[in-house]
Amino acid sequence: MELENKRESKVISKNIDVFYGDKQALFGIDLEIYKNEVTALIGPSGCGKSTFLRCINRMNDVIDICKITGEIEIDNFNIYKPDVDVVRLREKVGMVFQKPNPFPKSIYDNIAYGPSIHGIAKDKNEMDHIVETSLQKAALWNEVKDRLHEPGTGLSGGQQQRLCIARAISINPEIILMDEPCSALDPIATAKIEELIDSLKRSFTIVIVTHSMSQAARVSQRTGFFHLGKLIEMGETEKIFKNPNNTMTQDYITGRFG
Amino acid sequence: MSDEHIVKSYDEELQHLNDSLVQMGSLTEKLLYDSMNAITTVDKDAVSKIVESDAKINKFRSSIDQHIMTILVKRSPVAIDLRYAISTLKISQDLERIGDLAKGNAKKILPLPDDLPPEMLKRIESLGEMVQKQLKSTLDCFIEKSVQKSLDTIKSDEQVNDLATASIKEVLEFLSKDKKNLDFATNLLFVCKNLERAGDHLSRICQNVHYLIEGDYPQK
Ligand SMILES: Nc1ncnc2c1ncn2[C@@H]1O[C@H](COP(=O)(O)OP(=O)(O)OP(=O)(O)O)[C@@H](O)[C@H]1O
Ligand SMILES: [Mg+2]
Repeated sequence: MELENKRESKVISKNIDVFYGDKQALFGIDLEIYKNEVTALIGPSGCGKSTFLRCINRMNDVIDICKITGEIEIDNFNIYKPDVDVVRLREKVGMVFQKPNPFPKSIYDNIAYGPSIHGIAKDKNEMDHIVETSLQKAALWNEVKDRLHEPGTGLSGGQQQRLCIARAISINPEIILMDEPCSALDPIATAKIEELIDSLKRSFTIVIVTHSMSQAARVSQRTGFFHLGKLIEMGETEKIFKNPNNTMTQDYITGRFG
Repeated sequence: MSDEHIVKSYDEELQHLNDSLVQMGSLTEKLLYDSMNAITTVDKDAVSKIVESDAKINKFRSSIDQHIMTILVKRSPVAIDLRYAISTLKISQDLERIGDLAKGNAKKILPLPDDLPPEMLKRIESLGEMVQKQLKSTLDCFIEKSVQKSLDTIKSDEQVNDLATASIKEVLEFLSKDKKNLDFATNLLFVCKNLERAGDHLSRICQNVHYLIEGDYPQK
């Protein structure tokens, strides 16, 4: 367990409100995400977890009816300032979704796509290197190194998800957002992703939305509980699952929510 | 416990656990009473029944173990439910140990020597009663899930310790007067010590009730 005072803030959310048209989805979210840690967001369906996650890389910008107020600071810099380069931001904050969504391209091209549009690799050699290290970091290299030019969609679900993680890693992000990355996977594939998440936190800051309480307990250092668009409680994962402060948190995680 | 689970059978499993532990507790109460009674009335015939009740208590303990394992596997309990499973597991172990100690005491029955000072026997009787009272309030604090009662009960264990120490001193004095009472006095020393230990187990149970409710152990 790292000590509180050694922790460094990576993301700070300050009074974030989100509206979809007239409907408010998030209410004054204040929270802090620490560098090189895994933060889990839990809560009942529709409570705003994905909405909050999308605030961190401004993915909500692409939803026309979505309005956001408040600030999100990454490394003490407000990403909602008018002049922010959103493409640069998304380079810094990668995302992995619930359903593995490889491009209909080869395994190699799935990884190479990002670095090439962001102009990260100088030449073929460098690109090969990025592809290899990304797949290695995503614990997929050994399984695919002999079939790099086969389609990514031909992999198993768990492999596809690791491919998507490799793709997210390939552009050297600092933060990786994961929205229920294991919900379509079997226990073995889930265990591999969880193992991977644990090793990735050395290089990245990870925020994961999950419906599995035991997954949140296993992979994260801190957990935030959302309910009806509000952050009800945020704290050390161990504390949340052993002795939460809030009865709503307790009711939800113990399965007492009506 | 607060509100009901969405899954009704989960509540039933926890309720069953609660009921088993309370039943185990009242069997232990009875055993402790019978054992003290057998010692002070020199009732050797009671011993076989006491051994039987102790075996029954042990069975309760292992069925509670099994039940808790099932809950852990099926429900992956967290927060209050997790603390409930962990603390009932420990509480049943302490109850079992108290049963063992009471049985051990009953097995030590010997005829009372003629020169036994009546106050000495009285004092050991009251030590037994005090531990029985502690057992009762311990079970109450589990049934009521009362933090205050658990703290009070832990506190009054000091009185058990004091009385046990005084009784032991008295038995030693008695022994030093006449070595012919060696066997009887040694047994009585065991009885006192076992009662004191039973008190310690009761304090541990109260600490676990505190943990169950508050999520931490009481400050020393
Ligand atoms: N694109 C959208 N347009 C309109 N409303 C939306 C949109 N996305 C989300 N919402 C609404 O915002 C609220 C929060 O949704 P969100 O998807 O963030 O919840 P969630 O916690 O991720 O739920 P789940 O666990 O089911 O994924 C919901 O009421 C939802 O209907
Ligand atoms: Mg969602």
